[in-house]
Amino acid sequence: MKRSTTLLALVLASALALPTAMQAQELRVGFTLDALTLDPANHRNRETETIIRNMFDGLVTRDSDMNVVPELAESWTAIDPTTYEFKLRPGVTFHDGSPLTAADVKFSLDRLTKENAMGGQTSPRQSLLGPLKEVVVVDDLTVRLVLESPWPILPAMLPFQEMVSQAHVEAIGQEGMAEGVNGTGPFKLVEWRKGDSVIMERFDGYYGGATDISPTGKACVERVIFKVIPENSSRVAALLAGDVHIINSLPSHLVAQVEANPDTKVMAVNGTRTSYIALNNQTGPFADIRVRRALAHAVDRELIVDKILNGKATLTNGILSPDAFGKNDNLPTYEYDVDKAKALLAEAGYPDGLTVTLDVDGANKEIAEAISAVASKGGFQINVVVGEGSMLTTRFRTKGEPIDGQMWLTSWGNGSLDPVGIFVPTHRTADRGNSSGYSNVEVDALLDAANVETDRSVRADLYGKAEAMVNADLPKLYLWVAQDLYGVSTKLTGWKPSSDSRINLHDACLN
Amino acid sequence: MSVGKFIERLLQLIPVLLGVSIIVFVMMLFTPGDPVAIMLGDQHVTEELENALRHDMGLDLPPHQRFFKFLSNALTLDFGLSYYHRQPVWDVIASRLPATIELSLAALVFALVVSIPLGVLAAVHKNSLLDRIATVTSLFGVSLPGFWFGILLIIFFAVNMHWLPVAGRAGFESEVAPITHLLLVDSLLRGRIDAFWDALRHLILPTITLGLPMASILTRVTRASMLDVLNRDYITFAEAKGLSKTKILIKHALKNALIPTVTVAAIETGSLLGGNMVVETVFGWPGLGRLVVESIFVRNYPLIQAAVLFYAVTYVMLNFFADILYTMLNPRVKL
Repeated sequence: MKRSTTLLALVLASALALPTAMQAQELRVGFTLDALTLDPANHRNRETETIIRNMFDGLVTRDSDMNVVPELAESWTAIDPTTYEFKLRPGVTFHDGSPLTAADVKFSLDRLTKENAMGGQTSPRQSLLGPLKEVVVVDDLTVRLVLESPWPILPAMLPFQEMVSQAHVEAIGQEGMAEGVNGTGPFKLVEWRKGDSVIMERFDGYYGGATDISPTGKACVERVIFKVIPENSSRVAALLAGDVHIINSLPSHLVAQVEANPDTKVMAVNGTRTSYIALNNQTGPFADIRVRRALAHAVDRELIVDKILNGKATLTNGILSPDAFGKNDNLPTYEYDVDKAKALLAEAGYPDGLTVTLDVDGANKEIAEAISAVASKGGFQINVVVGEGSMLTTRFRTKGEPIDGQMWLTSWGNGSLDPVGIFVPTHRTADRGNSSGYSNVEVDALLDAANVETDRSVRADLYGKAEAMVNADLPKLYLWVAQDLYGVSTKLTGWKPSSDSRINLHDACLN
Repeated sequence: MSVGKFIERLLQLIPVLLGVSIIVFVMMLFTPGDPVAIMLGDQHVTEELENALRHDMGLDLPPHQRFFKFLSNALTLDFGLSYYHRQPVWDVIASRLPATIELSLAALVFALVVSIPLGVLAAVHKNSLLDRIATVTSLFGVSLPGFWFGILLIIFFAVNMHWLPVAGRAGFESEVAPITHLLLVDSLLRGRIDAFWDALRHLILPTITLGLPMASILTRVTRASMLDVLNRDYITFAEAKGLSKTKILIKHALKNALIPTVTVAAIETGSLLGGNMVVETVFGWPGLGRLVVESIFVRNYPLIQAAVLFYAVTYVMLNFFADILYTMLNPRVKL
């Protein structure tokens, strides 16, 4: 009896351990969220973008240094400040074998920008193409994008606008687009198991991708699976178990686990998300510039990056990431100086120190507590209060209305690395991301001028000046730009993480 | 139960559902957070686009109009478009429902299969080592937090032993054309043993995590009611008649002892729905629970409303079912 039980247990155990039939060239990505739709025009979501950009290509793309380079376009020229001409690459086909033409490009861009162009709905991506007025087909392989007003960042906004086939959209209709993929990208859709995975296979008719990014040609792996694992610990476990080969959003406290495993490693890339503490400039103690400066001197940012973020962040003295266009590299630093902080506080009328409340969401609690601990030496007694993200957003991002709170540890992402995406919303008077109630007409004027300036160096200069002003005004305490961390299998080659959080699997191989 | 009673019970559903709708709607109305602001995230957009999106979502209407629109549409089972998926809410929910049903059923079966024999044995061998182990284990089973226990199982069975997969419902190769949308059933119906095996491997850890608290509660209920039954006169009488011990246990004791177990199981099945939210997140299980949690964070009102109504209907129906079952098992009780 006992022997047969043991035998049964052994058989069961070995049967459980039997690997399911698996092909060698299946690359699996453990990913935080599922796609919301597979229609490139009908979402406004970073994760959806990351997944579907492997099946759809754009007119242009970005290389690993974040430069905009041609992809489906062969080249482009600005004929005048409001007209851009794109030459399409000949011989590009959709997954169904039909050729990509200028008419498809016009159709795709119209679908994004025209009112009610998607079966009565308007694309939520409409404003991403700003003042784009009209797309004109010149010939089969040439299109002109006509703008209402000069808009120098047009090329920078195009990498995430993907091209679809007009015939395909007309055949399957708006609703069909949510699941029916016919793109020009390196992978084609096999199946979307909602909430579970998006499965793609190599498109053997691929034209090769951007010529400026080697290698060109069809993708290396035969099949790609984006597997949805929202929980951080489970995603790391899936990597350690060998179930997946890449995981995104590796939290810094789990880095050591991934590094300790001989089959996995950590890859990091400069992120595009600037972290800061929004200070209420309207009322309360932080309406006084001396108190804001005192806080800047009281927070030892280097120590926090070192201890809490494992050194995986770059300090910044302004809102722009060090990699962003127009970054002012000469901004003064508010050095960690406890005496200076105390002196400024006393000058502002708080000789015995100041008690304030720091709001934070659950994910950043640890950092907020570290800030609180560090700042106490400089005379700040900071009470950390944890709240839910969307509620805090409502309280602080008030578009000029009174802010309900004193300070908020938050961040703003800027995938395009152009100041328009971060500087304007977070600092322009009453704009939607201005969580400090900050208003400076000179800064507003500089931002408005930069918005339409077509000369790159003049434009960079305008942003440089604006950043120097906010560095002096200090509406927020600028902290750092954290690195994006990925865990990868050592079997993986040819893949690098990208600053714009895209996971481009065209060049990825498995050994 | 008479047909009249049955219809009466069904009619009682109406005020319950209306009440749930109002409560959910009011709660969401007073919860801060703007779906449009969340959807646009960190982006520079014009006021016009914000307003256009608000209009698309129907959020530019005053609250009472929104509520009556929701109610009148709900009567025809039209819950509107999910803000994020931009597809009908019911389609989105339906795509996630089979995974949740399969996991809940598996957890229920697991709980029953474990708890009934364990509870009976513990009662029969009262105060033995086995009884004590069962008592302590069930105490742990009720108190262990699902997310912690789930991760623990993953680390041992998937990361260290490589026996089971970490997350998901099935590997790519185990694709079977759907019939019932329950993978275990479909793979058997299609004669795909390999796919059945793969689906089972994926199901084991989430099933244990989800089913453990229920198994623990049922073990205690079974033990207690078995002890109660074993002390009854008719058992003593059966023993005096000289019936075999097994026959007494199964035919006379167990049948009666199971009455509370079955009713508690039916009611507890409703709480599996709540547990699903945690377990589905930990195991990347593509079910409804995770969808609802994600929807709450992004204030996806139409989906939350529809899902909560669905939960309410399920809960009420399970209670109803428990009542019927009770009258069938215990003829002395009449509804």
